[in-house]
Formats: sequence, structure tokens, C-alpha cells
Amino acid sequence: MGQGKSQFTEEELQDYQDLTYFTKKEVLYAHQKFKALAPERVGHNKNAKLPMSKILLYPELKVNPFGDRICHAFSSSHDGDCTFEDFLDMMSVFSDAAPKSVKAEHAFRIFDFDGDDMLGETDLHQVVERLTGSQRLSESDMKNLIQNILDEADLDEDGALSFAEFEHIIDKSSDFCSTFRIRL
Amino acid sequence: MSGGERKVKRPRAQGWEEAGGEFYQESYPGCEADLDSMHQNPSNIATLLPSKQNRTATYSKKYDTKGTLRRRTASRSQCHNTIRRPSMAPVSQAATDLGALLPDLSENLSNEERTWEEIMQIKAMPVSMAQKKEHKAKLQSQTKLRLQGIEQLKWQRRKMWQQLKKSWSETLAKMDIWRLSMKEVEGDFGTGVVAYFLFIKWLMLLNLGICLLMVVFIVLPALLLKPAEQPQECNLSSNVSGSGSIECCSAKYANSSSEAENIVIQIVQGRGIVEHTQAFYGIYPNVVLDLNSSAGLYYDMPLAYISVALTFMLISLAAIVKSAAKGFKERLVEGEGQFYQYCNIIFSSWDFCINNEKSANIKHKAIYYEIKSSLESERIEEERITRSKEERFKLFSVRILVNVAVIVLITGALYLIYAVFDFSARTQNEDFIAKNELLRLLFEFLPSLCVVGLNLIIPIVLGMMVSLERYSPVLVIRMTLMRTVLLRLSSLGVVLLSFYRLFKCDPCKSEGPDENCKAPACWETHVGQQFYKLMLVDFLSHIAVTFIVNLPRGQLAKYSRNSVITYLCEQQFDLPKHVLDVVYIQTLCWLGSFFAPVLPLLAFVIFFFMFYIKKFACLVNSKPSTIPYRASRSNSLFMAVLLLSFVVMILPLGYTIAEWQPSRSCGPFRGQTTVWSVIVRTFLSSPLWLQHIVFFFSTAGFAVPAFVTLVLCLYYFYAVSAANKHMVIVLKNQLVLEGRDKQFLLHRLSTIIKQQQEHHKAMRAAAQSVQMNSTDISSST
Repeated sequence: MGQGKSQFTEEELQDYQDLTYFTKKEVLYAHQKFKALAPERVGHNKNAKLPMSKILLYPELKVNPFGDRICHAFSSSHDGDCTFEDFLDMMSVFSDAAPKSVKAEHAFRIFDFDGDDMLGETDLHQVVERLTGSQRLSESDMKNLIQNILDEADLDEDGALSFAEFEHIIDKSSDFCSTFRIRL
Repeated sequence: MSGGERKVKRPRAQGWEEAGGEFYQESYPGCEADLDSMHQNPSNIATLLPSKQNRTATYSKKYDTKGTLRRRTASRSQCHNTIRRPSMAPVSQAATDLGALLPDLSENLSNEERTWEEIMQIKAMPVSMAQKKEHKAKLQSQTKLRLQGIEQLKWQRRKMWQQLKKSWSETLAKMDIWRLSMKEVEGDFGTGVVAYFLFIKWLMLLNLGICLLMVVFIVLPALLLKPAEQPQECNLSSNVSGSGSIECCSAKYANSSSEAENIVIQIVQGRGIVEHTQAFYGIYPNVVLDLNSSAGLYYDMPLAYISVALTFMLISLAAIVKSAAKGFKERLVEGEGQFYQYCNIIFSSWDFCINNEKSANIKHKAIYYEIKSSLESERIEEERITRSKEERFKLFSVRILVNVAVIVLITGALYLIYAVFDFSARTQNEDFIAKNELLRLLFEFLPSLCVVGLNLIIPIVLGMMVSLERYSPVLVIRMTLMRTVLLRLSSLGVVLLSFYRLFKCDPCKSEGPDENCKAPACWETHVGQQFYKLMLVDFLSHIAVTFIVNLPRGQLAKYSRNSVITYLCEQQFDLPKHVLDVVYIQTLCWLGSFFAPVLPLLAFVIFFFMFYIKKFACLVNSKPSTIPYRASRSNSLFMAVLLLSFVVMILPLGYTIAEWQPSRSCGPFRGQTTVWSVIVRTFLSSPLWLQHIVFFFSTAGFAVPAFVTLVLCLYYFYAVSAANKHMVIVLKNQLVLEGRDKQFLLHRLSTIIKQQQEHHKAMRAAAQSVQMNSTDISSST
């Protein structure tokens, strides 16, 4: 950790501690992890921007069916490339300390593929497809499933889940917090 | 807005609709550009609704200037924050940047505390770090009032508290053992299984706490302090008590059994030298210890002993209840969980912790099957209802048969345990055994081996039987678990019962030794030794099963291509079984701790190693289970089983303490009629006013009003919860109604806009034609 320390001023660390759910030590640890993704680039520029393909080397993101979506959601340039600060934001949201509402907020953005602020049928379709991976649900099953989801959660019956509806589901799900989490 | 709504609702003449349209355009001037796209799909209009507008307004406006029409959700949680923050001044809806969401500073200069609070809130905003930093700098640089006097003090205290909490959590994180192990397990098996390892850790810490309590309050005093007065020597010639006196019995016990034995065997058995240490009940003195005689301070050993026993029971209960209550609350919130069955699968079933390809594939498969089975369960339900009478009869008779078989099996097992205990006790002192050391060791451990062996074998049989009954998967887990719990607890019950029979007589009577009495001189220590041995054997059995049986099995399954071998040897991590393993150890520890204060320490050590054994069993021997274990569910399952064991275990222990006569030859309670009488004695020697108060609590004058008040409270809370439940239904209905209204209005609106646009088009066309006409005319002239 000694090497990481030299790259940040005390002030920056204080900033990071205030603005994320991490302590200073964890910030440094996160930076180590970030550096491990592309040591040659982060070595001389601690806040280097790494392309999405590099970020996706992070083991948890690599196998996550929504890895690219996560990168997009946290990328400050909106193209999936992440700087260390974006990465820190990401890990902060996925940490244990982040409250459910913050997690739900980002989960919604991750699942909202077309960016229209609603989880419509196409979004749900994609989510399910990514979840089941190489196994494919039959067309009728898929239709049935999406219909069931909408029946459960679409309170205003507009054929899509708004954020409020999504948050309502998440509030009722006790598992969400424990699964929407990456240990640093 | 409401006026407009009412107007639109009524289908009226064109004029109204035009007005409605104008109203619409007026209130959302910034969105005109979107209109064209809107009425192709009326549901798109929904994004213009105020409810959605205010969480997108700020952000989209900010980006509108750059020409991006992408709506982002960024500002949403800012609105949340403002709602959450009670101290906030009213927020202007036309906020254009982050700063404007904060209270209007010109009117209401913020003070230090509020600024600090806001800085703490920034982290919840879903914006990039650069923006957060900017925001923080802005907050810090703005002028703010300094707090004065008490306010300042209060704020300082809050800040200190926060810092303290942070540093505390940092220290905790430093001491957090097994973090990497947890991550490893999590990456392969998901959070449901990690909950199990957290449970082991929790139990370990609980035992550490109990152990410290024991050491500080009874072991150390017994080791370090001297008795206040010299105990009387055994005097056989005195006529008063004779050889049955407490002193003589004690002397006899203290001088007994110092046979030359292997020290390892002594430690393993808890006999010999070990028996006469502070590890077991027998050695503790029954007298007041001298703390500081010149100051008149004494340490009442018997009172300390019973108090510590009661305290650790209460601590355990409180810890369980606290943990269980958390799960219970979650379940309550989940309440209508089954309504969100599919949403839960879709939105929270992927474990973001999974970090390798293999587990990811298994997870994909598990989710796929879960979706499939949920979709199919409706069909199965239907099938169940339409099951023919004959089939149903067959199934029921099979179930009854299986249940009978289970009962027979368990009873048989219990009888076997009982017989073995009896046999072991009877043959203990026979010659041919006493001569051979190894044989004696075997006979010593026979009861423990029997209990542990049955606990290993019978669950497997039960698991086979339950598959005949064709229950649903959830019910299968529960049934097996319930039967196994029944077996384990009742086997402990039988052990206790055989003790009861054995100890009915008093081995140290004044009339001289009784030939028929097989009771050991100090039955409490004997019980402690039995539990000590049970725990050891149980622990060894886990090691043996994990490393000697299951390890080769797992390796075979991994490398063998033969499908039969793979089928036989492949193991899944069967969570309920492993839960029972650790709960059982804890139950033994609770039951035995009163008789052997060493047990919490032993349990602590065992749990420490259990973590690694189970980790090995999990990571090396088994492959991830296709049954998705939910973290929240499994946690409440653990606590339920633990609580059940606790309640079942407290009954015999309570009986022993309250009713049973302690040994006359050993322990802190020799000479008392019951253990409880120490408490009664202490109570009677307390100040009179205290006695009066306690007596008052037990009179009818207090009990009846208290009872009535409690019932009233209960009724009140019942009524409140019923009303709340009703309210939830009402609100939900209202939500649905409003949603429908909204849909209806949106459809109306879109038709209006369409009509209006057509109207405009027609007008424009008309105007053009008029213009054309006029130009024609002008050109012609």
C-alpha cells in the first residue's frame, strides 16, 4: 500500500472518503485493484482512463452478464471507458455501506438498456436473456415471463416499469442488497 | 393542472380541446420539440408528466444546451435527498444546476452543521466524481454561519460521534478475519452460502464472549482467591455427620481417581488430572472467597457461578433474538413476497460477487431453471388439483407409511442410544475392561460414538425416504430438516434421560456406600465429561467425513468419466445439513457449559476449525448447488433452528437447576437442596425494602393490573397493524386507479394533440391556398 499512498495527496484522499462509502484505506486498496487492471497505464497517471475492455478484466465484472452496462452507467464520458474516479464510484455503490436507495438508482440505470428512463418490454427481454446466458427461454415462455413481471410490478399499467415502480420492488426484496454487491 | 384534467375528461366541443392543448404547451414550453415524437406513441407522453418531469428536469435542461435530448436519471436521487432532508428549505422546481437544489442561500444562510450534513449527502448522488468534487468545493467555499453555544457543542458532538463510528468500523474491518475466505466462497457459491459462514463466525464470537465471561467471573476467582475461612476437615469420629457429611464426601471425591494414565488419554476423556481443574464443575469451592478481608469484601462463589450461568443463557438468547428479529423484519417487509416472485428472480437473483466462469455458468443455469420452474409451478398447481382420487389416495398412503417409518426409525435410534449408555455405565467397572486400556477407552467413548454415528447415518436414510413423498422442493428441505432436528434433539434427550436414571441414588450416604448405586461421585462433572466427549467425537467425525470420505468422493466425481461413479460421488453443498452440524455443536455447548466451564472455550476452538473444514467441504468437495439459497431466507432458517435448539435445551437445564439436588461431594453447590436455593438465600439476605418491592411484584395487586395493561397494549398494537394492513390495500388500489386514470388521460391527450395538429395543418393549408389565391389574383392583376 506504500506505493499507492505516494500517488494521492492527503486532501484527495479526504475528498474521496467524504464522497464515497469508503475509508481512506479502502480507497487506496481500490486504487491497487484498479492499477492491477492496467499497470503500465496507471503507473504514471493515477487517474488514467482505461477502455471498457480493460475494466472488464476485473473478475466480478468479467463474468457479470451486465458488465458492459455497469461500465456505461458509471463512465463519466458515457462510452464505457472509466477513469479511476469512475471505478471508485462504481465500487462505492457496490460496497456494503451503500444504502439500498443508491444501489437501486444505479441498478435501474444498468437495466435501462435504451436509456428512456423506463424499463420497457425490450429492456426486460434483454435482462432475461443476459441472465439465462447460453440457455434460451422459448418465445412463449419469455412472453409469459415478461407478462408476469409486468403484472406484478407495473402498477400504473403503462406496459413499462418506471423508477418508482422499480424502487418499490427493490424495497420489497430483501435479497437485493446482498446480491447487488461486490466485495472490494 | 387539476383544472385542465377535469376539462379534458369531459368530451366536449373542439374549443375545449384546443384550450387543453394550449394549456399543455404552456406548462411545458421546453418540450415542444418532443411533441412530434410523442403522439406516435401516447405512452411516451408519460415522460412529460410532472411526476417524472421533476426528476429529469434539471439534468435534461443542463444537457439540452448541448443538444443532447437523452434523458438521464441523474438528478433523481437529488430529489430524493431533498425529500429525505427535513432541514431543507423549499426547493425551487426550476433548479438549473446542482447548487440550486440546496436551500436558497440568500434567504437562509446555511450554517456549518447543515453544510457538513450536505457534504455527507453528496455521496448518494449518482453523478461523476468530478461533479461531486465540484459540488463539495462549492459547499465548502460558500459563506456560512458559525454555530454558537449549545448548537456548536451539539454539532461537534455529532461530528465526533461520526468520526468515532468511522474509526470503529475501520478497526473492526482490520480485525475482520476470514474476509478473503468469504470472498472466495462468495465467488463460487454466492451470498446464500456465505451467510452460512458468517453464521459460523457469529457463533464463534458468541462463544468467545461466553468464554471470557466464564474466565473473568468464575475461573480466575477460583484460581486466584483464597477461601475466607479454612474449610472444616473431614472428621469421621464426629457423631454429627459421620461419613455422609459434605466435608467427608468432598475429601473422598478429591482423593479419588488419580490412577496413572496416559496424559493424552486423560485430556481426551476429561478425566484424571483434567477432572480436578477449573475445566469442570467439581473443583469449584462452595465457600465465600476472600477478596479483601481487611475491607470486608468477599466473593460469593456459588452465587457467581449460578449468575454467570444465567447471564450467558440470557446473552445467548438476546443475541439470537436480535439476529432473528432482523430477519423477521425483512420477512415482514417482504410480506407479499410471492407477488414479486418474478421480479425477484429477474432483478436480484444474479450475484454480483460471482467472479469465475464456472460459477457464472452454473448461476446462469440455476436462474434459467428457476424461471422455468416458476413458470411451470402454476401448471403443477393445476395438476395437483386435478389429481385423480386414486392417485391422491396412493400418495397419501405413501406419505403416511413414510411418516410411520420415520417415527419407527427415530424411536429405534433413540432406544439404541439408551441401551448403549446403559451398557456402558454397567460395564464400566468390570474387570476385563478395566485391564485393557484401549478397550476401556473404546467403552468410554461408546455412547458418544453411538450418538454421532446415528446422527451421521440416519439423515441419509431420511433424505432417501423424503424423495418418495413427492413434496415440492421447498417442503422437502423443510421436512428433512425438521426430522433431522427431531432426531438430534431427542437423542440428546435420551442421553439426559439415561443420566437421570443413573443419578437417582446418592453415592455418598451417611449409612455407608451403597452397592447398587452406580452413580459417579460427582455427577455434574460426569455430565460435563460426557458432553465434552460428545463434542470432541462430533468434531472428529466432521474431520473424518470431510477429509476421509468426501474428499476422495469429490475427486472421483471430478476426474471420473463413468456416469455411475459421477452420480454416486458428486456432492452438492447441502446447506441445511451443514447448518445442523454447527447448531448441534452449539446446543451441546449450551447444555454442558453449566457442568463444564471449559466447553465454551472448546466450542470457540471447534468453530474456528469448523470454518476451515466447512470451507474445504464447500470449495473442494462439492460443486455449487443448483438450489438457489437466498441469503435472507437462509439466515432466518439458521436462527430458527438455533432458537428451537435453545428452547429445547433450556428446559432440562432449568429443571436441573431448579429441582435437582446437587452432588454432596463436589462443586459450588454442595450441601444445598437445589442450585436455585443459592439465589433464594441471596435474595433473603438482601435489604428489606428490595424484598418488599419484589414481593409486591408477585402480589395480585400488581399482577392483575399489569396483565390487563399488557392485554390492552397487545390489542392496541393488533388493531394498529390490522388498520395498517387495510391501509396498504386501500393505497394499492388507489395507486392502480390513479395509474388507470393517468393512462386514460394520456390517451385523451394524444388524440387531442393529433386533432389539434390536423386542425393546424388544415388551417395552414387553407391559409396557403388563400395566399396562393391572393398571389394569383395579384399576378393576374
